[in-house]
Amino acid sequence: MTHGSAVRTAWAPAVATGWTVTVVQLSAPAVAAINVDGMGDAALVAASIEGRREAFDAIVERHRRTVYQVCYRFVGNHEDASDLSQESFVRAWRGLKTFKGESALSTWLYRVAVNVCLNRVSAKTLPTYSIESTDRFEDTRIEGAQAALLREERAAAVRKAIASLPKKQRATLILRTYHDMPHQQIADILGSSVGATKANFFHALANLKKILGNEP
Amino acid sequence: MTHLTSDQLVDALDGVLERARQSHLDACQPCQQQVAELAAVLRETRAVDMPEPSPLYWQHLSERVRTAIDAEPVAAGGGGGWLRWPVLAPVAALALTVMALAVAVPRPSPVTPDVALREASEAPLDDSFAMIADLVGDMDWDTAMSAGLTVALGAADRAVLQLTSAEQQELTRLLKVELLRAKS
Repeated sequence: MTHGSAVRTAWAPAVATGWTVTVVQLSAPAVAAINVDGMGDAALVAASIEGRREAFDAIVERHRRTVYQVCYRFVGNHEDASDLSQESFVRAWRGLKTFKGESALSTWLYRVAVNVCLNRVSAKTLPTYSIESTDRFEDTRIEGAQAALLREERAAAVRKAIASLPKKQRATLILRTYHDMPHQQIADILGSSVGATKANFFHALANLKKILGNEP
Repeated sequence: MTHLTSDQLVDALDGVLERARQSHLDACQPCQQQVAELAAVLRETRAVDMPEPSPLYWQHLSERVRTAIDAEPVAAGGGGGWLRWPVLAPVAALALTVMALAVAVPRPSPVTPDVALREASEAPLDDSFAMIADLVGDMDWDTAMSAGLTVALGAADRAVLQLTSAEQQELTRLLKVELLRAKS
């Protein structure tokens, strides 16, 4: 064998005789690539904790879209959402050992991302503006680019209004509205009760109504 | 009967209001109006879509995360950064060599393992090479691998690449010390 010959050639001149040798073998596991495709989240977490980077890469691949969407809804722009997503996964990596599997990995990652967003997003109220009249948005004669522009203006107003909400209300609204999450799961993520979650959701909507001047 | 509470208004939005309160809602115009207003805001909020990033972005995000984690001083779960397998494998091989040295070096009288280890590490370099040669001289590659005497090809290179700059500096310092010791 090529390798065996190489070893013999390399060491042959230095061979000494008359030694009593006891070989002690360390049981270091072989680092073979693993196939992560069919692995469930729990197995991926376990493999990641063992130091399998490809397993954590697979976790990122599976959940990056959701994490990014949560972050984007918090900050409303791609650059910040990207930074927050990265930080969320780095924190997840650091804290992976604390994940006990009591909730789904996705729920745990939501919690990490929401906490990152709550900590990083400025507590100060962003400037908001009230839409005094919605008549112009109901004009069905406006078509094409102009209509799209108006729709985008209105969407921007809603985003700003959401950004101005108190943090817990914002988090609850985002998880409930854009991720269709049950109140119980939101409560788990935010570390609160279902009652508090419903109250936050109600106040978030009431505040949005006030800000957007959406009185019927 | 009292009007709906905030919890119950949310339940009404979700369509899960309990029957008794639903009866109230059916008959109460102010509560109906409140539910309708909240539903309108919710509809408008829901309608705000999110710009979809470029399809290439997702891979870029994964790369960013990978790079950021590579720069992390700790392994997953907060363990030591030195305890990554690519680092452990060469270290384990080195430890094996040291242990073999400790056991193999001839000694006049029984001594404690600590003393043996110290003596082994202080043994002349040529003797160490001779002993290792004796160990592996007639061993083929597969046997050496199964005995744990080898590491994966390129493992040491990868291990070094995964070190943080601080770890690399420390490694450089240790190597310089060893080189100076070997020269002297």
